[in-house]
Amino acid sequence: MWQITWMLSVLPNWFWTLLFFSGVVALGASTFIKLYAVPLKIGGFAAVAISIWFLGAASNEEKWQARVRELEAKVAAAEVKSNQANTVIEEKVITKTKVVKEKGEQIIQYINRDVVKSEEVIKYVERCPAIPKEIIDAHNAAAMMNQAAGGKK
Amino acid sequence: MNKLILILTLGLASCGTVVPVKQKFPEVPPMLMTKCPQLDTITDDSASLINMLKVVVKNYSTYYQCAVVTDGWQEWYQIQKIISNEVNK
Repeated sequence: MWQITWMLSVLPNWFWTLLFFSGVVALGASTFIKLYAVPLKIGGFAAVAISIWFLGAASNEEKWQARVRELEAKVAAAEVKSNQANTVIEEKVITKTKVVKEKGEQIIQYINRDVVKSEEVIKYVERCPAIPKEIIDAHNAAAMMNQAAGGKK
Repeated sequence: MNKLILILTLGLASCGTVVPVKQKFPEVPPMLMTKCPQLDTITDDSASLINMLKVVVKNYSTYYQCAVVTDGWQEWYQIQKIISNEVNK
């Protein structure tokens, strides 16, 4: 069914408009030309019915094509917006990561520069030169707890 | 008459069309795809308090760097959702 409709829809719109008016003329003429009244009525009615069908189909097609164009424009605009958003997010992540990394390095430098020289710390380290193994093990277990959840990297 | 109704119904059914426009899944910035690194452990059994402190500070830094990426994912999702909703409106 749709194949026939598709083949006929290839015909230009003016053809169906012409067919419609021809059908109307044939129907009108059937009242004056008595000899061919029946064929004119049948032919005219068929022409009007078929042309209305295909004019409707063409109108429907045009409506959907417009919707397709509208959606394509929206999708294209969304892709542009998405890429712009990605650029903004990327820049934000780069900046924040840099700040966090630098801050961490600054704290390590502060430990190496000032904390190790603090009298209180020196005294403490002299009293307890090494951290008990149990504390180190507990720390390491906490640092690797993701492996227990299958997050081994 | 019944056949005529059936033919008309089938004919009208062809008017229901799916708009053939596909929206591509948005690309994710590659840096959001990086996995969080493993936290550092203290390898020296006789580590001093200072060494332990450095490892802890490094791990805090690692955590916050990873948190930045996670925040980036959340922001990415929220923005992409808004953009996608605008298309489907």
